[in-house]
Amino acid sequence: MRCRSRPRQRNEKLRTTPWHSVRGGFRHKVTIMDTQYKATLETLERLRAESVTAGGERKKDDQHRKGKLTARERLDLLLDNGSFEEFDVLKIGRGGSLGEEKKFLGDGVITGHGAIDGREVFVFSQDFTVLGGSLGEAHAQKICKVMDLAVKVGAPIVGLNDSGGARIQEGMDALAAYGEIFHRNVRASGVVPQISCIMGPCAGGAVYSPAITDFVFMVEDSSYMFVTGPSVVKTVTHQDITSEDLGGARVHAQTSGVAHFTVANDVLALREVRRLISYLPSNNRHRSPILDLSDSPSRTDPALDYLIPSNSNQTYDMNVLIHSILDGAEFMEVHAGFARNIICGFGRLGGQTVGLVANQPAVLAGVLDNDASFKAGRFVRFCDSFNIPLISLVDVPGFMPGPDQEHGGIIRHGAKLLYAFTEATVPRISVIIRKAYGGAYLVMNSKHIHCDVNYAWPTAEIAVMGPKGAAEVIHRKEIAAAEDPEALLAEKMEEYRRTFANPFIAAQRGYIDDVIFPRDTRSHLIRTLQMLDSKRTKGPDRKHGNIPL
Amino acid sequence: MFDKILIANRGEIAIRIIRTCNRMGIRTVAVYSDADSRSLHKNLADEAVYIGESQSQKSYLNIDKIIAAATSTGCQAVHPGYGFLSEKADFAKAVVAAGLVFIGPPTSVVDIMGDKITSKELAKNAGVPVIPGHIEAIKDEAEALAAAAAVGYPVLLKPAAGGGGKGMRIVARPEDMQAALAASRQETQKAFNDTRVFVERYIEQPRHIEIQILADSQGHVVHLGERECSIQRRYQKVIEESPSPAVSPELRQRMGKAACDLARVSGYVNAGTVEFVMDSQHNFFFLEMNTRLQVEHPVTELVTGLDLVEWQLRIASGEPLSFDQSGVSFTGWAIEARICAEDPSRGFIPSTGMITRYAAPRGKGVRVDSGVNIGGKIDVYYDSMLAKLICHGQTREEARRGLIEALNGYHIEGVSTNIDFVTSVLCLPEFAEGNLSTAFIEQHFEGGVSKRSPSLQSLQLAALAATLIYHTRTVAVRESLRHMVSDIGGRRDLGKTHPYKVRSQDDLFEVTLEGTPASGETCTIRVDGTTHTVVIPTFEFFRRRLKLNINGQAYRFRLQFDESFMFMSFNGISRVFEVYTPKEWDLMKFMPEKADKAFNNMLVCPMPGLVVDVLAQKGERVHRGQNLVILESMKMESGVASPVDGVIAEVRVSSGQAVEAGETLIRFEVEGTIAS
Repeated sequence: MRCRSRPRQRNEKLRTTPWHSVRGGFRHKVTIMDTQYKATLETLERLRAESVTAGGERKKDDQHRKGKLTARERLDLLLDNGSFEEFDVLKIGRGGSLGEEKKFLGDGVITGHGAIDGREVFVFSQDFTVLGGSLGEAHAQKICKVMDLAVKVGAPIVGLNDSGGARIQEGMDALAAYGEIFHRNVRASGVVPQISCIMGPCAGGAVYSPAITDFVFMVEDSSYMFVTGPSVVKTVTHQDITSEDLGGARVHAQTSGVAHFTVANDVLALREVRRLISYLPSNNRHRSPILDLSDSPSRTDPALDYLIPSNSNQTYDMNVLIHSILDGAEFMEVHAGFARNIICGFGRLGGQTVGLVANQPAVLAGVLDNDASFKAGRFVRFCDSFNIPLISLVDVPGFMPGPDQEHGGIIRHGAKLLYAFTEATVPRISVIIRKAYGGAYLVMNSKHIHCDVNYAWPTAEIAVMGPKGAAEVIHRKEIAAAEDPEALLAEKMEEYRRTFANPFIAAQRGYIDDVIFPRDTRSHLIRTLQMLDSKRTKGPDRKHGNIPL
Repeated sequence: MFDKILIANRGEIAIRIIRTCNRMGIRTVAVYSDADSRSLHKNLADEAVYIGESQSQKSYLNIDKIIAAATSTGCQAVHPGYGFLSEKADFAKAVVAAGLVFIGPPTSVVDIMGDKITSKELAKNAGVPVIPGHIEAIKDEAEALAAAAAVGYPVLLKPAAGGGGKGMRIVARPEDMQAALAASRQETQKAFNDTRVFVERYIEQPRHIEIQILADSQGHVVHLGERECSIQRRYQKVIEESPSPAVSPELRQRMGKAACDLARVSGYVNAGTVEFVMDSQHNFFFLEMNTRLQVEHPVTELVTGLDLVEWQLRIASGEPLSFDQSGVSFTGWAIEARICAEDPSRGFIPSTGMITRYAAPRGKGVRVDSGVNIGGKIDVYYDSMLAKLICHGQTREEARRGLIEALNGYHIEGVSTNIDFVTSVLCLPEFAEGNLSTAFIEQHFEGGVSKRSPSLQSLQLAALAATLIYHTRTVAVRESLRHMVSDIGGRRDLGKTHPYKVRSQDDLFEVTLEGTPASGETCTIRVDGTTHTVVIPTFEFFRRRLKLNINGQAYRFRLQFDESFMFMSFNGISRVFEVYTPKEWDLMKFMPEKADKAFNNMLVCPMPGLVVDVLAQKGERVHRGQNLVILESMKMESGVASPVDGVIAEVRVSSGQAVEAGETLIRFEVEGTIAS
């Protein structure tokens, strides 16, 4: 009978692999030992030891030489001491359809469940020392088993990927196995948080599983993801490119947006996974944990009153505001290197996790473009899946102009973010900091798409268009007929700015609920979150909408 | 006494003057430029007058605008502060001509003392010892060589106009004279538009000691003791103190008398400072006289108990001194540190930005003269000094320790400051011993970092603090998840002893916490075998400042979470402390060293736009993070910062040029790699 809180004896080493765990079993004396029982126990011990050895000491040293940890070491760091319960140690594959090769116990992946900061999670960690971590039928079945259990009990799934891809020798069976994993990724999506940590290769079809999961971590210099590897690229398109340049951590963090986080090494990666999980609820029926950082809800920050420069053409750093309002000034930014004109990430207000979406005026003037819309859209939908309130800080002059954007589908992508915000039924609060023009104003969680509470700073400029564009359109005939068109335009711009570049027209209509002092932003947000805590709304009864993808 | 005065200055000194005026019931008028439109000095004065654009030439150095501001607001006097126009005879004359009182000496004195050659003449006439040197500006190389031979090598080539070290050259041998003279002339022409250079003996390892004097309009002159200002970096003072550890009461009397004699002979009125250099034999020589209030005046104020600004105002309004020399008493010791917005790790380049957090220390004997507060914008237009922190104690050691404590608690974020650099100077044993000279910083520091590693005790305390915070946060996270853990089987606790491994640069510490007591209780923490008793405070994670009671003594730390790790500032140490659990540490040994990324020697344009300004030129050495190009894009102006430390090989764009995203703006010389 397993007892979790058996008091540990003095000097007893904290065990990390379950095989030497507390189950007692074969270590203590059995008074009636018949040979059959003894033989079984000995076999068990031998097999377990073999499974732990996996690919062998030499292959383990190879991992270390490459600056990577072994699959078990990673789990050891990820999970709380002594909390790991492993499944399917003795599982092996049925054998390849294309030739015989050695069968390994465990089939190259370690699966089970354990605790992260006390909370149960399900994990799988691919073992690169066993057949290159390749995914075969048994390997995938093990993963599917823990995914099924995770959904049943409502616990997060963390996958540590380090695999060369499908096991060619198993042919169609390996492919079928992948399919089963993808199926479960989708079934679990929005039910329990799914996190992938790419700690080695992840190639070919294998990449779709992390792509479906909620967050992807990549370890710099030792991990890469691509559908088609450099050798095939060379054969087909005659292009020479390294794995790093084709699909390394930096590429996916900054260019493709596949990776949400990049970390320097394995040890830090696992730390960051633990950090991310601490923000999240275990499943979609629960709220996020409340972390008390002793940060008073009524804390005001006088620096915010000075944040916005008096010249409307000068930028400021939105991160100053973000770090000021959040509990403990702690912010975990998602997709930090990608679409830097918008900032997405998790923080806490009043102890509760919130999802923050903010335009960054210091990058591309904070315009919305294809990448920014995709980045924010996905983030918003994740928060909506898991009961995480959404806070938006708005300073957006519009959508990025130009043929690149138009031909790239800014229409679709912009609609994506609009859809995501509108669809979200979690508490939504918006604070308009400075510019909020036209369509972009609507997209960024405006009152009109049923954001719950909308605030504006006194520096807010809420208008259908910026002063220059508006003046040019409204007074076009006058300006054309004028003696000094430029001077008249400047005059009309100034007039427009005085009339419209403020929050008052919107306030008069009730499009914003209040104009607040910058220094009080945090206390207003927390107070509003308190009120919205019991918000219960449901969308219309339908299978699902048709978000422009 | 005046009813209303105008302060022709900004920042810290303007606020200092306003403070005394408020106390005395004198109304104040401040002047401000565009950059200072939200500044503290403007808001603290009773009235404020806008005087122009941010560049000093167009505002704070514009005599007409300042006089107009004074007359239009009905001021009776003008206080020039220090720097800007304070030692410009033209300004003093203009003030007087406008019917206002100039709070300072007569204009003739400003004139004479402003010129190094005439002031030296006057000093000699007054019987004040001067540095052996050739009395006239030299005409050519031959004359320079002759003069140097007479004076004795090593010699210093010194420009007649201006200060701050510009144009000065040390010549050790006759062979070096030609090159040095040419360089000196060129630099001084560029800086001061004046090629007069004279030769004097170079005092090696000098101490910079100055005497504060006060003189009223009735001819009474007193001295208020000395200040030692030897801790300088590139001729800019960093730390000043009063009295000087090298000055005995007898020497003080002699130096004081010499300073007063000079003041009398020159007809000095109001506050002034006579600067001397002192050699290792305690011989002192006249350097120059500053005809204004000095930056470091607070140390004198704390030791003598006098308010110098008050006396400036009294003297300027015609009052006599109410005390004579015997009425001046000196109590205790005061040390001042200048806090500047600069980055010591990047060659002390000026730092700009908005102050996002500001907390000045308070304590026994602590005085803060600050020019900024939270929300202050720091630009490139003016001097980088933000504030002065002064500590007074009964002894020099008490003042030194008090200042270190205060600096540990001085929290400024948003701009880089030299706070940790200054603290590390004060922590050096050589400073504690008082072995000072103007070569101090050069001798003991390289690249803004002390050559001697910080004391082990300081490092251990910082490691302890970092670990305590890390552990507390881990426990807090576990607490937050408690309700998500099944109740079955009881609670799994973390255990009684919590060992950690802490790494900081090359140092490794083992820190073990015994138990997890609540706030207010004591905790035993072992660092590398040494046991410490720590009182657990209430951790406010937003604060980024921590006051810990360790073994009965209070220590202040400043810290920041650097992603997973702790950036700690304490006793001059400013480093990242990486806290690992033992199992993490065991596996860290397999992790690769962070490799410097391949050097990318281009500054690439981030977005399409128009180049407004190019801030650097070919051949210039720049630092990572330094703005090189100002770009206007999407109707916004922003700076493009250098990604590397390096030298500019080629500037490919110019002001007014349209640029595309991805275009190369600047090319660097290939040199080393960037740190990631």
